[in-house]
Amino acid sequence: MGNGVTKMTEAIKFNLPVFVVIAPLFIAIVLPVFARRIRLAEGMVIFVGVLGLAGALFLAHIVLDRNSGTWIYQMGGWPAPWGIELTVGNLAASFLLVVMGVSLPVSLFAVGNLTHEVGGKQRTARFYTLFLLLVGALAGMALTNDIFNTYVLVEVATLSCCGLVSSRRHPRAAEAAFTYLMLATLGSALVLCGIGFIYTITGHLNMGFASQALNEIWQTKRHVVWMAMSLVFVGFAVKSALFPLHVWLPDAHSSAPSPASAILSGLAIKGYMICLLKFFYSVFGPGLIKEFAMDRLLVLAGMIAIIAGSVMAIPQDDLKRRLAFSTVGQAGYIFLGFGLMNKDGLAGALFYLASHAVIKSTLFLSAGAMISATKKRKISELAGVGRRMPVTMAAFTAASLGLIGIPLFSGFIGKWYLITGSIEAGSFLPTVVIIAGSVLCATYLFPVIRVAWFESAPKEPQKAAAQETGDAAVQRETAEVQEGPVQHGQLKDPGILQKLALVLLTVAIIVLGTVPGPLLELAKRAAAELLVLR
Amino acid sequence: MRDFILKRVAALILPFVCVYGFYVIFHGHISPGGSFAGGIIVGLSFIAFSTIYGIEKGRAKLSEDVLTWTESFGTLWYGIMGMVGIFKGVPFLANKLAGIDLGLPGELFSSGLISYIGLGVGIRVASTMITIFFTLMEDEE
Repeated sequence: MGNGVTKMTEAIKFNLPVFVVIAPLFIAIVLPVFARRIRLAEGMVIFVGVLGLAGALFLAHIVLDRNSGTWIYQMGGWPAPWGIELTVGNLAASFLLVVMGVSLPVSLFAVGNLTHEVGGKQRTARFYTLFLLLVGALAGMALTNDIFNTYVLVEVATLSCCGLVSSRRHPRAAEAAFTYLMLATLGSALVLCGIGFIYTITGHLNMGFASQALNEIWQTKRHVVWMAMSLVFVGFAVKSALFPLHVWLPDAHSSAPSPASAILSGLAIKGYMICLLKFFYSVFGPGLIKEFAMDRLLVLAGMIAIIAGSVMAIPQDDLKRRLAFSTVGQAGYIFLGFGLMNKDGLAGALFYLASHAVIKSTLFLSAGAMISATKKRKISELAGVGRRMPVTMAAFTAASLGLIGIPLFSGFIGKWYLITGSIEAGSFLPTVVIIAGSVLCATYLFPVIRVAWFESAPKEPQKAAAQETGDAAVQRETAEVQEGPVQHGQLKDPGILQKLALVLLTVAIIVLGTVPGPLLELAKRAAAELLVLR
Repeated sequence: MRDFILKRVAALILPFVCVYGFYVIFHGHISPGGSFAGGIIVGLSFIAFSTIYGIEKGRAKLSEDVLTWTESFGTLWYGIMGMVGIFKGVPFLANKLAGIDLGLPGELFSSGLISYIGLGVGIRVASTMITIFFTLMEDEE
């Protein structure tokens, strides 16, 4: 009996990398059957979330423990050039931890709170299916070591994102989803072309083998390598909303239901960034990045994105749109860090990625809670919300401080490492831009905090303010939202699970800001690993 | 459609179309085609039935609940087949390593788990095709 149990634990431990990927995927496809018993379906989603987080924590523990080398899992027992490999390294473990750590609170927030936004049990079940498919695909992106497998996971993630964006019954959501579908498909096509070029010249789909082959032949096939690199870069840049290619993001992320916005802004675009990082550093290698000046391009694009995204966020009066534009700006930091080509910069980018995932989900979830309680989307109409919804607004405030980069909150540590990295890289412009980005971030987030905490609630809804803006789509949205009766007496914090989700995320922000130890260690080791010249 | 000849011919042919679809699915590992193509053929036999005899009769044969179940569990079957390896103490989706007799290449009962996985994929594809068809028909009404 005892022998059987140890055998089972051994089997689970041995197969953990594949379990964290397939558990969400297979539960996702079974969920439609339980559409009529939505409580059961929700319970399954939470269960998978808890299991996934436990698995991710255990994998991170193993990776931190063994200190060097990566754990390679061969699917079906086939060795590398033929089979598909999953690698559990520092990068994979840290991103997996982020994915599972953010998706569990988001699903907690969604439980019992979706029907008014999505409508109907069938549609709610479909939402959870797409949600879990996205989580599984992101976990796969973290672990896979095969470039075509990456592409498949990218497609799964993209299509489930489209579904999540369109899950609200509203013309604006459908429009946003269509724009996203078109641009994301374009991005996928570019990535696929890049993969095709890599496969044509190297004959390998495994990242390690492709990288080896590329290092041997790149001098004779300079243009092909350059093309492949550019295609992969632009493809993933479209999907992760790097500044000039971000046009789909504000609509898509602001018109989705709040839990979907949280996971789209917090995790989905990060998955594509991790894919880009893997392609650039694990396939092409740091040498080729420098050779084709991709590092300078990344830094430049990152700087432009930080400034442009933040500046565009300032005039937005719609709360979720402001947060969506802020995502465009914050994505810039991560791209900038990817291009710094030193240990501090890359570790900073990875830590900032984790911290932004947590912070932006908190912001979107608390914004969603405020919007569904007040039935208003405008920042100027949120006066006095802080007094009535203290927990929600406290979470929003903590997340805002984290995003700005106040010490003791997680954003600070990421920005600190990015700044030391950029000073080490010898260029001072990125340093200035990072600090300017923080100031701009304060410019667009402090007004929300001021209005919500320090202004007293108005006597009647101000409809005049809604008609001043020219954005017709926003007006339609506002009109739709305002249909419900506005009762200021009932304005209070959301249910216990929603509060729990917000508290968990806020605690995560503060813990990452005060004791960043393990995650920072993983990020540093991952950076050191990626920067090794082969 | 009220065409007598069409209905009689369909009644004669469609069962064979359906069986042929399963033939393609089960021979996926040794001949051209495979579970995707076979699943499409199986789905097509039901789609043709609903077009010729009317959507209500098609719905009566395969209700929405049945389709949801086959769709979900067709894919889950893939996962269960993958788990066989794990139960035997070897990696996910392992076939020969899991100690399954692969048989002689070219024979129907060969290649271990591949043909069983193909059955799951085929069922999934067939039910998805039918679901898409029913959804489109409902939108039109």
